Amino acid sequence: MSNREKLRDLLLEVLLLTDEEFSYDLNRAQVETWDSLAVVAIAAGVDETFGYHLTPDQAVGITGVKDIITVLEREGISFADA
Amino acid sequence: MHEQWERRWDLDQLKSSKLDAPYIIASNSVRSIVSKQLPWAFIDLGAIPLGAKTLVVVGGGNLIDRVKVLRKNDWPALKVVAIPSIWGSGAEVSPVAVMNGHIKDIQFSEDLIPDRYVIWPELARGASFDLLRFACGDVYAHALEAFTSPLATPQIRREAATLMNEIAEYPIGFDDRWFDASAAACLLQARSSVGLIHGFAHVLEPKLRASDLAGKWGHAKLCSAFLLPVLRFDLSASSRVKNLAAEFGLDLEKVLATAHALFMPDAYSAAMAEAERNWEGIARDRCSRTNCVLVRRDSIDFFRRFRASGVPI
Repeated sequence: MSNREKLRDLLLEVLLLTDEEFSYDLNRAQVETWDSLAVVAIAAGVDETFGYHLTPDQAVGITGVKDIITVLEREGISFADA
Repeated sequence: MHEQWERRWDLDQLKSSKLDAPYIIASNSVRSIVSKQLPWAFIDLGAIPLGAKTLVVVGGGNLIDRVKVLRKNDWPALKVVAIPSIWGSGAEVSPVAVMNGHIKDIQFSEDLIPDRYVIWPELARGASFDLLRFACGDVYAHALEAFTSPLATPQIRREAATLMNEIAEYPIGFDDRWFDASAAACLLQARSSVGLIHGFAHVLEPKLRASDLAGKWGHAKLCSAFLLPVLRFDLSASSRVKNLAAEFGLDLEKVLATAHALFMPDAYSAAMAEAERNWEGIARDRCSRTNCVLVRRDSIDFFRRFRASGVPI
């Protein structure tokens, strides 16, 4: 499974989305379930899935799926299509 | 030194205090011993005299929380002195109040914190071993989930690790040091968050209370039942807890040994039958969502395997 797919599965789980509702362009404002608790759960899930622990500033600064990818790519985790 | 220690009294300090128009609200289990030590009149929660200015509430976490909420909503000028009859909930120091109903209503406000709390260890001396054991599990669950919380600061983790290393040396059963440990653990989790142990406890308690009266289900019993399984789940899903333990000097072997000592296979098995029916709610509970490891739809499989194994994995 590619890192893009892993991230999608993680966000489907945390944000209670269906496959159809998900896109890599999603941002917090578009997703009702992307609340403060989801931010915490995303941080835990990113750590578990990618082995990188988001700093508190990074976690609260994330405004959309692309931001998560940007942060992780800076840490050397590739999101290029497999 | 934390602010809560400034609010702490022992029984002698309470007796020599000059409380303004005090009345006592006490649970039946401690009424006799309280009446021998304190001279003030007993009243019921629903019949507070207009002239009352101080309520001394003596009992378990549920009673203390009800008084805290009553004061906040209807009697904001009242002073509240909270005296826990057993350790565990930390309600006597906490800005959180948990109201029991068909579902748990969790309230958080600085206005809920009692003005004073009193450590009176004799109140717990007559409690059954089971109750004392559950209370120890409750303290441990608060400290552990504060330590592992994604919202915990390094300072909270240092304090939680120190506390857990210390209470690992306490006997499971009566020991008056548990009261102060309970207050400290409760404040640690109030400054961070709780996790999946509390997700299980909050969702299952009202269900089990309704369906299994003989089981005497309560928050502390459920925390004790799920402490070891959730710790094992967290350890199995990620190296996070292990890394944090190494970083902050938490003796994980001691923590696991204590969790094993507190584990009750029969209670866990009975609670899991209800958990199977309520997994969606448990996984989405606000406490579970701040667990240190992500709780997924299929995470129930781990807890099924744990149950089927009959003994801790």
